[in-house]
Amino acid sequence: MSKVGMPLVLLGCLFAASASAADAPNVVTLPQPTPPHYIWVNDFVFPHMVSGKAMLVDGDAGRFVGELDTGFGSMRVVPSLDGKIIYSPETYFSRGTRGERTDVISLYDPAHLSFIGEIQIPPKRSSNLPMMANAQLTDDGRFLLVYNFNPGQSITVVDTQTRKFVGEIEASGCALIYPTGNRSFFSICADGALLNTVIDDTGKVKSSVRTDDPVFDVEHDPVTEKAVRVGDTWYFVSFSGMIYPIKDGSKLQPTWSLLSAEEQAAKWRPGGLQQLAVHTGMNRLYSIMHQGDLDTHKDPGREVWVYDLAKRTRVQKISMQHDSGSIQVSRDAHPLMFSIFIDSNVLDIYDATSGKFLRSVTDIGTTPTVLVSP
Amino acid sequence: MKWLDRMVEGSARSLAKRTSRRSVVGYLGALLVGATAAPLLPVARGATPAPASKPDDKKKKVDDPTSCDYWRHCAIDGYLCGCCGGTQDTCPPGTTMSAVTWVGTCHNPLDGKDYVISYNDCCGKSTCGRCMCNRNERDTPLYIPFQSNDYNWCSGNGKTNVPYHCSTARIVSVAK
Repeated sequence: MSKVGMPLVLLGCLFAASASAADAPNVVTLPQPTPPHYIWVNDFVFPHMVSGKAMLVDGDAGRFVGELDTGFGSMRVVPSLDGKIIYSPETYFSRGTRGERTDVISLYDPAHLSFIGEIQIPPKRSSNLPMMANAQLTDDGRFLLVYNFNPGQSITVVDTQTRKFVGEIEASGCALIYPTGNRSFFSICADGALLNTVIDDTGKVKSSVRTDDPVFDVEHDPVTEKAVRVGDTWYFVSFSGMIYPIKDGSKLQPTWSLLSAEEQAAKWRPGGLQQLAVHTGMNRLYSIMHQGDLDTHKDPGREVWVYDLAKRTRVQKISMQHDSGSIQVSRDAHPLMFSIFIDSNVLDIYDATSGKFLRSVTDIGTTPTVLVSP
Repeated sequence: MKWLDRMVEGSARSLAKRTSRRSVVGYLGALLVGATAAPLLPVARGATPAPASKPDDKKKKVDDPTSCDYWRHCAIDGYLCGCCGGTQDTCPPGTTMSAVTWVGTCHNPLDGKDYVISYNDCCGKSTCGRCMCNRNERDTPLYIPFQSNDYNWCSGNGKTNVPYHCSTARIVSVAK
């Protein structure tokens, strides 16, 4: 040891001796499984897109819990079904905004929000305003599917069991991912048809069948890509507020409107970035609503209307504290509804059953996009 | 995955052609993809609604390329290149225009004509962060890509110059 080093050691001993009254160095460990009233707020940080992140908030305490750094054009985190790992499709460049592009599925430990590994995937993950349908797990959680656009369209398949990229599935002319089973999903094609893809136990394509005719009317009243799912049915909503239930990936069920004739005349319509949410147990659909012309289909709203999906009737109107562009409802028996807007960073929390406003959490990111339940 | 790469242009064209009502505009978009090796380009960004304009100042703003109310910006979504060192039809220094584009149709109240507008993204630097503008006239969902302003069209550049910087609004032609 050098002469310089010796005094430092003595100094360290002095600190140690007096440490009984001091705080020990420590890092928080999170409760596991992640509580149902926690919520992931994804942020693609539009003014600084290389610095995307996902922030975890405790909805009961109104407390910022921690964050993950998720790279360029951050899409959204995908928690595993058992809650023991978090998958995150990410893009990086070797020199910040320059250099070689690398796309990966990053793996994070939900107890420590720490990086534990990555799976390299083709560098063509779609960069777009984040949607839930950009990345989805198959129903059994085995395969992670990621939508690609460059502008060729395809689906990357990752085996979460072996933690390997297993292939890329062509989806020419069709976009995004809506799972329908353990080995099946569909995508929406530009003419409103649906492309149903079935994979085998290795993640390879078993069949790929496009509906003969368009299911959606893209010419007169297109549906948004912001669908929600209850059981075997995906619920899409059109710009004008018509609900299109799609059962088993291709069977269009009877459509119905969120709006009465009077409400349509008053130009009420759904809008937002994540404009629908559901609670499976209550079989309720939540929709952000505003008044505006047809081209306001992405606008936020100051009301959330709640529907009984079995009766197809509205059961409630929730008045929002702030502009709402994204909503999510927790899955538990006493659910919370979360609301945020990309042009704000205030997360509002409501009782999803009564609609009562509970609390706000401020300074949540920069341009928050989609909300993901753990 | 070369089979995928080879079909990129073809799929983009056929897709645009299948999009019914907007097919005319989409077809133009596809032509642009094939006809220009130089930059044209669109975007991926926030859903911030356009700032509300007062009726009395609308007229002067429709002629201001740094305003969200500028007539060409009817379907833009991103930072205006005119505020970022470029103009409504040129990219700021050091950036690259994307090789693929999406298009919209905007009405010019100054001459009463409709124009096909190509919203070329400028790429390769961090987001400009100035003059955010989002208007969604005839904007379509992501599954109709060539009329959707929610994509980062810098993605068409390949492995580099993918970061989005700002958006231009170039006139392609008078709409028929």
